[in-house]
Amino acid sequence: MEFKIEERPEYAWLTVKVPARHKLFVEASAMASMSSNMNLRALFRGGFRRFLSGENLFLSEFTADGIDGEVCIAPGPSGDMAHITLNNETFYLASSCYVAHSQGVNYETKFQSLSQGLLSGAGWFLVKMQGSGDVWFNGYGQIVELEVHDQLVIDNGHIVAFSDGVEYDIIKLGGYKSLFFSGEGFVCRFRGRGKVYVQTKKPASLIAWAQAFRRIKRSNN
Amino acid sequence: MEIEKKYGPAATIAICKLNAGETLVAEGGAFMAMQGPVDVTTTTRQKGGGGIIKGLKRIFSGESFFLNHFTAKNISEVWLGTPLPGDIMVHELQGDRLVIAGGGFVACESNVQIDLQWQGLKSIFSGEGIFWIKASGQGKVIINSFGFIYPIDVDGEYIVDTGHIVAFEETLNFEISKASKSWIDAFLSGEGFICRFKGKGRVWCQSHNPKSYGQELTPHLKPKQK
Repeated sequence: MEFKIEERPEYAWLTVKVPARHKLFVEASAMASMSSNMNLRALFRGGFRRFLSGENLFLSEFTADGIDGEVCIAPGPSGDMAHITLNNETFYLASSCYVAHSQGVNYETKFQSLSQGLLSGAGWFLVKMQGSGDVWFNGYGQIVELEVHDQLVIDNGHIVAFSDGVEYDIIKLGGYKSLFFSGEGFVCRFRGRGKVYVQTKKPASLIAWAQAFRRIKRSNN
Repeated sequence: MEIEKKYGPAATIAICKLNAGETLVAEGGAFMAMQGPVDVTTTTRQKGGGGIIKGLKRIFSGESFFLNHFTAKNISEVWLGTPLPGDIMVHELQGDRLVIAGGGFVACESNVQIDLQWQGLKSIFSGEGIFWIKASGQGKVIINSFGFIYPIDVDGEYIVDTGHIVAFEETLNFEISKASKSWIDAFLSGEGFICRFKGKGRVWCQSHNPKSYGQELTPHLKPKQK
């Protein structure tokens, strides 16, 4: 599909041209504006697990009625956006980084194994994109593409997406002392062949910083 | 060690290229990614000095208690990020001293000594932390900011709001005072305290004040229960 991403990296904003009778799938509530012939349908995507994770259970499905149309998309957090074309391939996204995909790509929520989900900043879920077509995703700060090799280690909170063929395990940075004291916690060590996409800022750091500015409410009893 | 700044001024990271045997000392929490054979150890201090007390002091300066030491066994890269949207500056020390305002320190080469400097009673009232970090020795220091960084060459006298100071050369004298001659004007204008630099040297300022940003957020954040 024809598209453009503007205002990278701070306020990345996506416009997709949808050919007549074609479908575009978008993260719930991310549509900013669109042509009047676009038809919206809420698509149930989640199961019980998604409900537990507190994420939106629906995807928006936009169909161009009769003639070509366009949809402008802005994800909740301000930041960068990236695009990848799948050619009968599989691609994994941190659940919060999904933005949109085209027809021909299958969207599947994947529950990470207990240790991986628990420990990685990506949360319990990964989105598995499979098939042929376009995938768009977002990140906080700038999105940077890295080639995987044996000595690549990335902080959990900075991982946005990775391609099929990439394996990772969760390790601690340095010794056990590092685990508890370094402020880094767990990191991912990558193996195999493929690409990893990282974001240069991590939301967790901003949230931790903002904690200091919360008011203190005294309980009455 | 070569340090490259990328994706500035809002999504900035520092890419540190280490040769075999070189060590980078970074604040806990700054690590983003690394490539190559790197050993990581965590201490409360810099190697060869200090200890728990220094670690505790660092907390008062708004920094992390712990420091991570990245030692390269061969050519490698360590990528460091910053918590807030903002810029990074790399400053090379050649025996001179640099004072870094609270929370600004990210990392340094192992030949740079970092210590805390008591800023006097006045700095308590400025709300910017009791200790500032003093960096001395030989090598590069990485400092972060909120917003972008602009340098000012002071010759004589210059005034900077305490919340906008990133770092300054120790050749400068300074005093913290209220922004106006009148307490009422200083309070009502919202400027509060300012730093008056005197002498000859350079000050680096940040375009935005993190504390002002935080205070804007306060009404929207869920209160803590006590």
